[in-house]
Order: sequence, then structure tokens, then C-alpha cells
Amino acid sequence: MFRKRKSTGIGNRVERSTSQKNIPITLEVLRERIDNMDDAKIIEHQTQNNKLFVLIYVGTLIDDARVNEAVIEPLQGCVNEKISDCISVSEITDISTLKEAEKKLMLGSVLIFDTIENQLFAVNLKNTTGRGIETSETETILYGAKDSFTENLEQNITLIRRRLPLTSLKSEKFTVGSQTETKIILMYIEGLTNPDFISIAREKIESIDYDQILDSSQLAAFMEDHNHSMFPQFQQTDRPDVCAFALGAGKVTILVDNTPFALNAPISFFHLFQSPEDYINRWIVASFLRILRYFSFVLSLLMVPIYVALTTHHYQMIPLQILFVLVDTRSRLPLTPFWESLLMLLTLEVIKEASLRMPTKSGQMLGVIGGIVVGQASVEAGFASQVLIVIVGISAIASFLVPNYLINKANTLIQFIILILASFLGIMGIFMGIILLFVHLNALTSLRQPYLAPVAPFYGKDWLDLFIRGPLVWMKTRPEALHPLQKWRYSRRR
Amino acid sequence: MSGFSLFEKTSSFNGVYITLMVNRMQMLYFVIIMPVFLIYPYMIWIIIIVGLLSQINIFMLSKWFNSNYASRGYEGFAELFGERSVRLLSFIGLGFILLKLTVITLGYVEVTQHFIFPSLNTNWMILFILLICWYVCSHGMTPTIRFVVIAFLSTAWMFLLLFNFLFQPFNSIHDLFPLLPYEWTMKSWKAVVFIFSALSGPEYLVLLAPWFNTRKKVLKYMTIGNVFTIFEYVFLFIASLFFFGPHYLEENRFPMMEMMRYLESPVFERIDMILISVYLVNFVFAISIFMLLFYGATRIALKRTKDQTTKSGFAVCCSIVSICLFINNELLWKKATNQNILLELEIWAGALTYLLIPLFLFISLRRKGRV
Repeated sequence: MFRKRKSTGIGNRVERSTSQKNIPITLEVLRERIDNMDDAKIIEHQTQNNKLFVLIYVGTLIDDARVNEAVIEPLQGCVNEKISDCISVSEITDISTLKEAEKKLMLGSVLIFDTIENQLFAVNLKNTTGRGIETSETETILYGAKDSFTENLEQNITLIRRRLPLTSLKSEKFTVGSQTETKIILMYIEGLTNPDFISIAREKIESIDYDQILDSSQLAAFMEDHNHSMFPQFQQTDRPDVCAFALGAGKVTILVDNTPFALNAPISFFHLFQSPEDYINRWIVASFLRILRYFSFVLSLLMVPIYVALTTHHYQMIPLQILFVLVDTRSRLPLTPFWESLLMLLTLEVIKEASLRMPTKSGQMLGVIGGIVVGQASVEAGFASQVLIVIVGISAIASFLVPNYLINKANTLIQFIILILASFLGIMGIFMGIILLFVHLNALTSLRQPYLAPVAPFYGKDWLDLFIRGPLVWMKTRPEALHPLQKWRYSRRR
Repeated sequence: MSGFSLFEKTSSFNGVYITLMVNRMQMLYFVIIMPVFLIYPYMIWIIIIVGLLSQINIFMLSKWFNSNYASRGYEGFAELFGERSVRLLSFIGLGFILLKLTVITLGYVEVTQHFIFPSLNTNWMILFILLICWYVCSHGMTPTIRFVVIAFLSTAWMFLLLFNFLFQPFNSIHDLFPLLPYEWTMKSWKAVVFIFSALSGPEYLVLLAPWFNTRKKVLKYMTIGNVFTIFEYVFLFIASLFFFGPHYLEENRFPMMEMMRYLESPVFERIDMILISVYLVNFVFAISIFMLLFYGATRIALKRTKDQTTKSGFAVCCSIVSICLFINNELLWKKATNQNILLELEIWAGALTYLLIPLFLFISLRRKGRV
């Protein structure tokens, strides 16, 4: 039943588009199409030899000053037989179908209708206004490049091309979204990136059939191998240097128009813990910081569940001195450790989410009020123990060390799951949760490549840039897990 | 990729995986109870000699891996033995797999009950472990084999924690004597069988041959795994001899775990609880592999190899395993006092499979070669 209905729908769409193709392009049809569009303009002019031409454009999409300069003035002084010969703008296209005319009009072109020849041309005068290149706010670093992507696709490509001036750096263009007609650019280095990744990415982009693709994360959702996972399977970044590094290692980069975030793939779970600053700091310092990030991730995930497990099931595991403190603080509490922790964690999440949504200054204020007032008050009111407040606080701060925001959010959810398991099965429950997490990660793939590489599957050489960031001079080869066509980073060794 | 294809070969694995799998499949429940069956210092030699015997088996298994039949999986077996015989062998194998699954699961659950949750109904623990294993299996054979790396990295370092016990001031070198037996009793023979059974597990790898891409150096990789296991067994046995002494050793049910109780840490008092919980990773890996093999063997026995794997079929197999585990737990394991029938059976069954499977394959290959 559903199939039948679906096929009827497609049939309708095909029929409509065929009929639209057959409609002859006349001024009346074009007028009808832009009816009720306040910003659409139709202007008539004459050339020097009295030829009438009509300009049709959407004022808000094009550069008004350039219409005069590049189209109206040259055409008014035109003495040639063909109108198109008078325009010196490089991007001038003959339009043959109404659909094409509509598309060009809505993407920022001026349509020129030659009434004598009954011909239609499009001149691209797209308004390129947008914000300038600014510093990245999501991946801030102290040293290193400060520029970040903007919403302008061409500009974003330029930022990458400046870093990788190679003719082998290819950029394939796709259009997705039946309503949004979003431009997508797939970038890769030919002869280096594994062709499988390119074909998989190409195949996935081409198979997208959706009305709106407004953001790169939406695109990622359609391209991911596992839609139901909490873990991102594409690295989202607004830093061109990160993209250049990824491309150079043998990954593909996907840029989406009107989005300042690019997608890099294939990635592994461990990529989410890497920061651009890792490659700027001295390797020993960078390695320490990276280990600290992993440690913090584990800490943020397990500290509260361990508290619940120990206080609920395994008092014998707590050293005597700490046990005295715990017994003292917990003796006056009406709630069980699980409910106490759950409520505190939920409160913390509410505060975190609220401070994100509030304006910057109010957000900071909220953080202070939430942290100090709610924390202190809940202890005094007897809802939570001081020990738990300390643990929740450390856990929250530790979670901020993970550079990837998406994994940070996933972390919170996993924490709740492990908390529930800990309340039922104590320390055993915690490890069951961790095993489930590993099993899940082990089964995940990014562009059909294992998500836990280079641990499982095991690629020994890649460990030099995994938990530590080894010295760059030692990293002679590109990551094995990416199966690059050019193994060596040194050109002389190739 | 199709909807539910458990045995689809999405990637192949190199020799390192063979090493890890050989080692982790030999380090299951029997390593925990090993000193109880050995007790006497001269049994160190038994571990080493049986380890060498195990190496002969490894050699025979490697011959199978090198043959053309191995990479073709079921078709390879069918060509060598004939379809009927393979179905019959699969049917017999089901019992052995089920027995191994039962003993390692119930054994581990008993350890957790003994050390972590003395008042917990073990059926709940069995259920939780099985649920995790179902989840692992549901991803298919490829991710399950890949999981061995996590199992190895999570558990292989544990024996190093006992390193300290070799150098305690109360240790006496006399605890390691006599190194030669005064008499050879039935108990000594049983120890031989036990160790041989404890080292079993690699014979099941012949069923996973299509997933491995290494053909040439398979003997080297399997040998590394086997040698590492023997080293671990010898080390753990010596450590337990030093710690308990041969006289007190037989009084303990789980000497390995008892030793871990004495480990100290400034943060946690009972490290053993954490270590037992971490060791679950290894059991989850092994149980998942055996569950998948159980499902695969059932399909062969029922002549369903050409059909696509189904969720319902897999669920039925998992349910059979679960029911079997619950029944065995209630009727045999819990009630066992001095002699655990299931454990005795597994000691013999493990030794039998490890002796016969490599030998059978080796002889069959040679005979086929001559024909």
C-alpha cells in the first residue's frame, strides 16, 4: 500500500517537472512566477538601437550597484545585434527552460529578456555580503592560525586552498535539498586519499533525497552509517587548518554552503579528543594534555557512578578515613545515593543548558548562582552531601576538557546510563556499562571504517598519535588506519 | 550490507588477531581455579610439558589454516568430509560448545557471587551477562572478532599486578620444592588433563578461518599466543605457590582472586572487586564468540547454511543457551559441593576437543593430500 502511494508521488513529481520544462518562457510566465514577491523587480530598458530588454531580478539577492554598472549601462549603450555581446561579465548563461530560469533567479542572477530575439540570459551578480573571517569560537586556541570558516562556501574553499596549493586537491560540487538547493563541496587529494572513501562519500551525498539541508550537521545525519548512535561519525570543525591537516592525512572534507562548519571523515573515537593545539605545543606537553583529556573523560563519566556504587553496595571498598567522612555527611540525608546523585546531575544539566541559552553575561551569572547557591543550599537543606557536591563539581569541570561538544553531550547521557547500572549492580554494573560502551563503539563505523581504529582494528604505528602526540619527526607515515595511497609524509622516502 | 547478516565478512584480520584470540581463549575460567588442581610445585613441569603438547596441536591447526579448505569455511569442511558428516559433526559440536559456554559463564558468575555479591541470585548475573553478549553478537562476527583487542588490552596486564608477590619477605624458596614428584598418582594425571583442557580453545579458531587473511605465518602468530599463555600460567602458579604454600593452596577455592584481595591501593580497599569486574570483558568476548559459533553450528546441523541469518533464528539459539544456563545453574552448579559434574565434564570435554580436532583435521588433510 505504502509503496504504491510512494510511486504515485514520484510519478506526480516527474509529471510536474516535465510539464514545467515544456512551458515556453515568456515575459508573462516570468511575471506570474514572481507575483507577490515584493523584492522582485522587473525593469524595462532600451538599447541605443531601440531594442527593448527586460531585467528581472530579486533585489535582496543581488548587488544593486553592480546591476547598473555591469548590466544596465553596457546595455543602454549597446549597438550590437545580440544583447549578450554587450555584457562583459564573465558568467553569462543562456536559459532554455523555465525551471532553470527560476533557479538562476533565486540564486542571485539577473535575468535579461531580449524581446526581439525572444531569448533569455542570466548574469550572475550574487550578493556576497556576509560576515568576515573571524576567530573560531568553538575551537579556540592560544597559538596557531586564528581564521575560521564563514557561511560563504567559496571563501571557505579559498581558506583551504591557500593552505594546500595543490592541483591534486579536488573539489567536486553537488546540490542537495529539493527546497534549499544547497551546494556541497567534496574535497580530497587525488592520489593520496583512498578512492573508497571518495566513492562512498560521493555515493552517500548523491543518495540524499530531502527537502531542506540547512546545515552540515543535517548533512552528516544523512551520511552517517549509524543514525541511532550518540557518537558523531563526522568531525565537525570550523577551522581551515584542521581540514587541511585532515586532507593531508588522507581524509575527505565536505563543505556545505551557508554553514561555517566543515565535515571531515573517516574519523575515529580518538579524533574527538584531539585539539588543533596538540600539533602546536611541544610534544611532551601536548601528550600530557591529551592524556589529561582522556582521563577527564573517564573521570566525568565514572566519578558519580562510582560514588553511587560504593555508597550503595561496596562500603568495604572505601578506605576507613574516607568512610568516616562519608558516614558523617550521609547520615542526615533522606535520599538514597542514587536519587541524590540523579537529582544533582539533573540540576547541573539544567544549569549548564540554561547558561548556554542565556546571553553571555547572564549566562556567566547563572553559572555562579547555580554553582554556589544551588550547591550550597542543597547541602544545607539536607538534599545532598558535601562529598557528592565535590564529586559532581569535579565531574562537570572534567567534562569541559573534551574538545568536542557533541561527545560532551553524549558523555552526559552515558553517565546517566552507567549511574542506573551502578545503582543496581554496583561496581559490576559500572563495568558492564563500560563494556556496552566499548561494544557499541567497536561496532560503529565512519565512512564504513572502524570507529575504534587504531585500537580495534590494531594499527601499531598510529599509536604514536593516539594517546600521546609523538614528535612530528617520528611520524614519518600517514595514519595506516586511513589506508592512504601515499604512505610516507617525507617526499624523499616516497 | 543486508539487514541482519551475522556471518558476513566485512573485513579480514591479520595474524595479531590470531595471537590475541589464542591467548584470550586459553585464559578463561580455568586460569582462576588452576592452582587448586595443581597444588604441588612439580606441577610447574606439567604446565610446561602440556604447553609443549599444546604447541603440537597448534602446529596441526596451523596446517589447516594453510590449506585451501580453511578460507572457504563451511564449503571447505563440506568438501573435505562431505556435507552429511559436517552436519553430524556440527550437531556433536553443539554439545561441546554449550558445555564450554555453560562452565565459563557459571564459573565466572560464581566468582562474582563469592567476591562481590554474596547475597545476589546468580540467575540475575547470568541474565545481565547474556544480555551484553547478545548485544555483542548482534553486530556480527567481524566486530566480535575485533573485540578481542579490547578484551586483551583490558585484561592481559592483570597478571603483572601479582608480580609483587614473587618478592615478598615471607616467601620461601622451599615452597617451590620438590620440583620432581615422589609419586605419580591419579591426581597428577588429572592435573595433566586439567591443564590440557585449560589450554584448549584455539581449536575453535578453525571455524573462524575465513575471517583471517594470514596464511603464511599463522604458526608463528599462534605460537606467540600459546607461549604467552604458558608463561602466564607458570607465573601465576609460582606466585600462588609463594603466597599460599602448597599445603594451604588446596584449601582455597579461588586462589588467584584471594591473592588479589591482598593488593593495596590508596583509593580503593578491595582491588579484587574491580579486577573481577574488568575480567568480565574477556568472558563477554569468549561467550559471544561461542554463542555465534553455536548459532552457526545449529544452522549447519539444520541444513540452513544457504539461507540468510535471521533475528528469530538467532533469538531462538540465544534462548536455548539461556535456558540451558539457568537450568544448569539451578540443578547442577549451585548444588555442587565437593564435585561439580559440569566442571568435571568440561575438563574432559575440553581436553578431548583440543586433542581430537587438530588431529582429525591434520590426518584428513594428509589423507586428502595423498589421494
